[in-house]
Formats: sequence, structure tokens, C-alpha cells
Amino acid sequence: MGFLDRVGARSPWILHFDTGSCNGCDLEVWALLTPRYDVERFGGVNKANPKQADILLITGPVTKKCEDRLRNLYEQVPEPKLVMACGNCASTGAPFHNCYNVCYGVDKVIPVDVYVPGCAARPEALIDGLTKALSLWEKKALAAKEVKE
Amino acid sequence: MDPLVSIAILLAGPLLVGLSMGVDRRITARMQNRRGPPLLQPFYDIGKLFSKRPQMLGDLQGLFAAFCLTFQAVAFVLFAFGGDLLVAFFISSMGAVFLVLGAYSAPSPYSYLGANRELLAILAYEPVLFLVIIAVGINGSFLASEAPAGLLERIPLALAALVPVLVILLEKSPYDVPTAHQELVSGPYVEYSGRYLAMMELGRWFQLAFVYGVATLFVSGPDPLTNVAVKLAAAFILLLAAILIDNITARLTRRRMVLFMLTAGVGLIALNLIVLYASGVI
Repeated sequence: MGFLDRVGARSPWILHFDTGSCNGCDLEVWALLTPRYDVERFGGVNKANPKQADILLITGPVTKKCEDRLRNLYEQVPEPKLVMACGNCASTGAPFHNCYNVCYGVDKVIPVDVYVPGCAARPEALIDGLTKALSLWEKKALAAKEVKE
Repeated sequence: MDPLVSIAILLAGPLLVGLSMGVDRRITARMQNRRGPPLLQPFYDIGKLFSKRPQMLGDLQGLFAAFCLTFQAVAFVLFAFGGDLLVAFFISSMGAVFLVLGAYSAPSPYSYLGANRELLAILAYEPVLFLVIIAVGINGSFLASEAPAGLLERIPLALAALVPVLVILLEKSPYDVPTAHQELVSGPYVEYSGRYLAMMELGRWFQLAFVYGVATLFVSGPDPLTNVAVKLAAAFILLLAAILIDNITARLTRRRMVLFMLTAGVGLIALNLIVLYASGVI
């Protein structure tokens, strides 16, 4: 286990993507990034650029229009990468059950590492989810290395 | 200059710049009433970038990133070994040009906009940095190892003119025009990722180390210990000024940046040199 693989968990650069959320979870994600909950304590910075991101914070139930865009963004993020489904909609598509225009959750489109429930997901819960996701970093880094070899 | 001292400067320079970035983020966080990242955060970021898979659009991009790092590093090596400041300056500006070329080599509108703005930033800060070095040279020697004592008393305004130069190089408001996060995501760096982004960042560290190095020539202490302390204090005061300016201003337009640097920045140094000339010092 190399030092570089461990150090990545201390510097999670964030990409936040809204896939048709009501903006409730988005506001909480922004609360996470602003001084009150200050995710920069963990080294997290909002990079807004998939090529430089390490962890995706996805909100919303993934509308059909967003499906391709979400997949595209995910493919642009270099390995190792983590995906966090923020809120009930992103986790299961909850209130949109049987709706004709949504995919019922992020994990129907791309693999998800951590689900954070809540409507809206509270910033404290998001921090909890973020630290849980970062504990998976080493495993992800190893997996990425194996794929390369 | 003693080669051991030179090697110590060479190793300590970029490390101190990295640490100063951590201090910068910490102080900025405290000014915004939050806790901020650990002091070593910039090193964690670089380490992580080296462990990530780069996602590049072409071979040239990586090549230009490597050239950017090499040229900035050579410029700082020259400075550390007491070489000619002017030559170091020109090599460092070549590194800055490679940053722009790297941004142009990716067919992306954000990258292009960032590159255009980076060129304007170069147009804004390089004449001022050049004149600072000329002012140092006129007062004694262009060799970093033979910098005359008491530069601060003779050309204080040249040191003041380094503050806006640092504001641009540190990508801080009001002159964070090239990398304007809210408009251009990250300007010339937008198409870079993984270890090539880390190379660009390291290149910036070397460039900053050179500029801080020029600032440290202005002060000196009687014995080695106070000498180092005074030089570090001078660099830290410049950094503090840049952080303070960053946190109390909003971004200005690129036109304002160029106009300010080419009038106020150049004017400050010219005024200083005219006063020195009129009083018969040079």
C-alpha cells in the first residue's frame, strides 16, 4: 500500500451534480461547502470540474434527460473515484415512485458507493457520508491500480 | 555563495512555498470564520494528483506541463545558486508561456478563455517584476549572490510593487482573472488532471519561490540566523498583504488588471528610481 494511495483520502475534490432535484439537497450540499459546515476541514474543495474531481455528490432522482449527462460526467472522472447519492431521491427515487420520467435513483445509472438518506439530507449526515466514502478510498485506489496492470 | 547554502535554498524554497499555501488557506479560512484545512493540505493535494489516472486530450498537453515545471525549476535553481536575476526571470517567463501553450493545446472553450486571460495576466505582472529586478540591478548587481545590503531603504516602492504581482501569481482577487473559478471553472488548468495538473501546480510553486526569493533580497540581517528570519518575515508579510487584499475585494475586469499594473505598478518603481536619480544615489 503506497503512501500516495492513502493521501488521496485527505484531499477529496468535489463535483456536485443536480439530476433534477427539488434543490432541497442542493442547498444542503452548499451548506456543506460554506463556512458553517466547512468541508474544507477534510480537504474537500468544490472543483466543479469532472476531470479534477474525486468524489461526486449527486442529488435528485435522475430524470431521463439527465441520464446520459450523469453517465458522461461519471466517465470523465479519473479513477479512483467515489460516488455519493445525496438524499432520498438520489438513493431510491422515493417520492417519484412509478413516475414515467425518472430512473429511480443514481445507482440505476452509475455505481454508487455511499447512500445518504434524508429529505433533505442534512449537512451533518452528508459529512458522515463523506467520511464513510473516504474510508473506501484505499480500496478504490488498489482496484484502480489492478485494472491498470 | 557556499554550494551547501544554495542546495538548502533550492530544497527549502518550494517546500516553504507549499507550506505558505497551507498557511494561506488556513488564514483565509479564519478570516471567513471557519476552521480551514490542515497546514499540509497542499502537499496532500499534490500527492493525490500523482496517484490519480490522468485524463488528457493529447500528448502535447503533458509535454507542455513538463516544460512549464522544468523552466520554472531551472529559473529557481539559477536563483538559488546566486545566478543572474535577469536570466532567471526570462526563463521563468518562458515557463509561464508554456502554461499558456498547454492551455491552448486542448480544444476547449474554457481552456482557450483561460489561456487568453493568462496572457493578459502575464502582460500585467511581467513588466512590473522585470522593473523590480532592474531596480535591484541598478542599485548593485544583477547576481542574486551579490545583492547589495539595504535595498529596502533605497527602493521600498519596488517591494510594494511586488504585492500586486503576488496577488496575480497567487490567483487571488481582485486579479484572479485567468482562473476565475465562477466564470471559467479553473481557466488554463481546466483540461488538466492527474499528475500533469500536479506538474503545473509544482511549476507555480517554483515560480512563486523565485518571486519570494526576489523579495527576500531586499532585507538582510547581521548574522545568518537573523538573516534567515528577516528574509522569511519579509516573504510572509508580502503573503499576508496578498491574503488581506484577497479577502476584502471582489474580482475586477481584465482591463482594470492590466491598466492598474501598467500605471500604478510601473509608476511606483519609476517614481522610486527617479527620486534616487535626482538625489544622486544612482
